[in-house]
Amino acid sequence: MKYALMVYGDQSAWEQMSEEEAKASRAESMPKWIALFEEMGRLDPNVDGKELDSATTAKTVRVRDGETLISDGPFAETKEQIGGIFLTDLPDLDTAIAIATKIPLAEHGSIEVRPVVEH
Amino acid sequence: MQFMALIYSDEQAWESLPDAERASTLERYLEFGKRGRKSGAVVGGDELAPTSAATTVRVRGDETLVTDGPYAEVKEALGGYFLLECDSIDEACGLAAQIPAAQHGAVEVRPTFLDTEGER
Repeated sequence: MKYALMVYGDQSAWEQMSEEEAKASRAESMPKWIALFEEMGRLDPNVDGKELDSATTAKTVRVRDGETLISDGPFAETKEQIGGIFLTDLPDLDTAIAIATKIPLAEHGSIEVRPVVEH
Repeated sequence: MQFMALIYSDEQAWESLPDAERASTLERYLEFGKRGRKSGAVVGGDELAPTSAATTVRVRGDETLVTDGPYAEVKEALGGYFLLECDSIDEACGLAAQIPAAQHGAVEVRPTFLDTEGER
């Protein structure tokens, strides 16, 4: 079954960190990311992941009565924003949940796990 | 540059559509994908199962918290995405406007990093 693992976190907390704090945070989480990528690759060699740029770079598009309306900013102005998506083929939901717990951002943000509809 | 077009729409409205209308809307999505893949502007995309099938995972300290349901209970939920290859965000927004959900929901367009070095 193919699953989408959507990573939600508070991006402003990250952006407000000083250079040293950000560096320390990266150094702390890097081994966890490497271990995660290794495990994901073992479970599904075709695992795909996309990291999104900050929500402040987002544009939101709506079409109403034939008119296209484009606004700056994300669809929902929430504290935590989607920052990335993993797409991976896993045997079952329990495996997907186990992987989600190992995404470093699960420690302060949230990971939403959702099956992908196969067409 | 690659852009993620995140598709938000009202799930209840979608599920309460008559079958024929839902089928024809789905057809428009498939058509958008097919046309985009041909031109090279669409490089990926998926439909997500409804939020009722979602599980949310958090780790706090040594504790793992697993809850049923999506990250946020909202009327218009993330239902899928297309990955777009475009020269600019304006071009990506132009394509996003052609995604059926733009007409009743909303499509959020976000630049995507191609690799962990931060290169786009």
